[in-house]
Amino acid sequence: MSGIQEDDDLVFHKITSLLEPLNEKGVKLTRETDIIADLEIDSVSLLDVVMDIEDNYDISIPVNTISEIKTIGELVDAIHKIKKEQS
Amino acid sequence: MSLFEKFEDKSRLLKGLLEQSPRDPFSVSMDEMLGPTRAMVKGKEIVLAGTNNYLGLTYDEGAIEAACDAVKSSGTGTTGSRFANGTYAGHKELEADLAEFLGYKHCIVFSTGYQANLGAISALAAPPNDVILIDADCHACIYDGCQLSGAETIRFRHNDPESLDKRLSRLGPEVKGKLVCLEGMYSMFGDVAPVKEFVEVAHKHGAQVLLDEAHSFGVFGEGGRGVCERDGVLADVDFYTGTFSKSLASIGGFVASNHPELEYLRFSSRPYVFTASPSPANVAAASAALKKISTDSSMRTRLWENAERIHAAFTQLGFELCAPASPVIAVKLKNKEEAFMAWNVLMENGVYVNLAIPPGTPNAASILRLSVSAAHTNEDLDVVVDAYTTLSQILAKGAA
Repeated sequence: MSGIQEDDDLVFHKITSLLEPLNEKGVKLTRETDIIADLEIDSVSLLDVVMDIEDNYDISIPVNTISEIKTIGELVDAIHKIKKEQS
Repeated sequence: MSLFEKFEDKSRLLKGLLEQSPRDPFSVSMDEMLGPTRAMVKGKEIVLAGTNNYLGLTYDEGAIEAACDAVKSSGTGTTGSRFANGTYAGHKELEADLAEFLGYKHCIVFSTGYQANLGAISALAAPPNDVILIDADCHACIYDGCQLSGAETIRFRHNDPESLDKRLSRLGPEVKGKLVCLEGMYSMFGDVAPVKEFVEVAHKHGAQVLLDEAHSFGVFGEGGRGVCERDGVLADVDFYTGTFSKSLASIGGFVASNHPELEYLRFSSRPYVFTASPSPANVAAASAALKKISTDSSMRTRLWENAERIHAAFTQLGFELCAPASPVIAVKLKNKEEAFMAWNVLMENGVYVNLAIPPGTPNAASILRLSVSAAHTNEDLDVVVDAYTTLSQILAKGAA
């Protein structure tokens, strides 16, 4: 259980480090942060961040999945699910 | 809560920019067309340098005559789908001529280039076992085609065959059909895909390639057959899509292929079945332009001369350009505000180009997108270079 928690934190930290350069308003990033609405970034910028995540974890995240994701927490969960499926 | 609420936040950003802008770049009206490269806009004569009219054939005498004859003989509209009453002899002839010109066995004509990609992609790939892989910078119609298909869609890095290779390698054994979508020349920056490498990677993994040559048909290759002709892989492309609304100086689109199964699209592609076919005039104009392109390469020569001249001039003026010389020459500005200002300076100096801002552009760039035409005269280009010279001086003053 603690292993999962730690891994969860690593993915969360990876995502926030990629989002931080786009976080112009300095919003505090939590699992509940709405990526597009709270950070005021456009959908294409989100897709580009996801591309970095894909290369970092050597996984493919379908556009269909991304379009259903709103919060950082949902993105973290989706990455874990795909990592498991594609490993 | 209303239907319109969601637009408010998005439009607020644009509204601020528009309020500062003397002219609205997104609602320009060409009050009177004076030819392929000139128009009257609000009482001022403007050189058109953002048109996609690469070969300048919109006023070609042969095409105009063919379009007029078609209206007189076949009427102003077909009032029906290709699937029903909207297929005339002209549509079939144009399909045969395009197939012959490109060297494919089959071709299907759609009502627009947008619908050609939408119709091909959505019909070819289907959930749950097909996967579509698209270049990150693909046009909206390719993204929309993926959405309409409902198949799983994966983006790969722009113009990066290795990135495609990785993503194809990750696919599991449950995946049946794999469709790779990319473009010859990309419309915003004018950069060109390494098509040969992409085709090799795709075929190595048993995937099929859909190549959109909308902006490169008539422009690249010895015979004007696009980037895949230039790269020697024309025959290896599985699905070649294109448009009539650029080099062919009309409106409509097509998909060509050597796969006999392409014919299935005629009853399975919703954007083919459920819309009216292109009008007789549109078809006749595209046919005439195609004949001209296949027999006369002088427009292409002129186009590239014009492109080289503008690219060299802008480089000398110190502009940051988005790609090597091609008929699309995009200048990168610092931000949206500067791009709006620069666009207005060019209009005041008699030049229309396309203003493009995020999210409609790659890498969140704010650009002025210029497209060169074979119909641009030396005098037209003088006006363009003068206007950009004025702009560079204003930008230099602002930076100082």
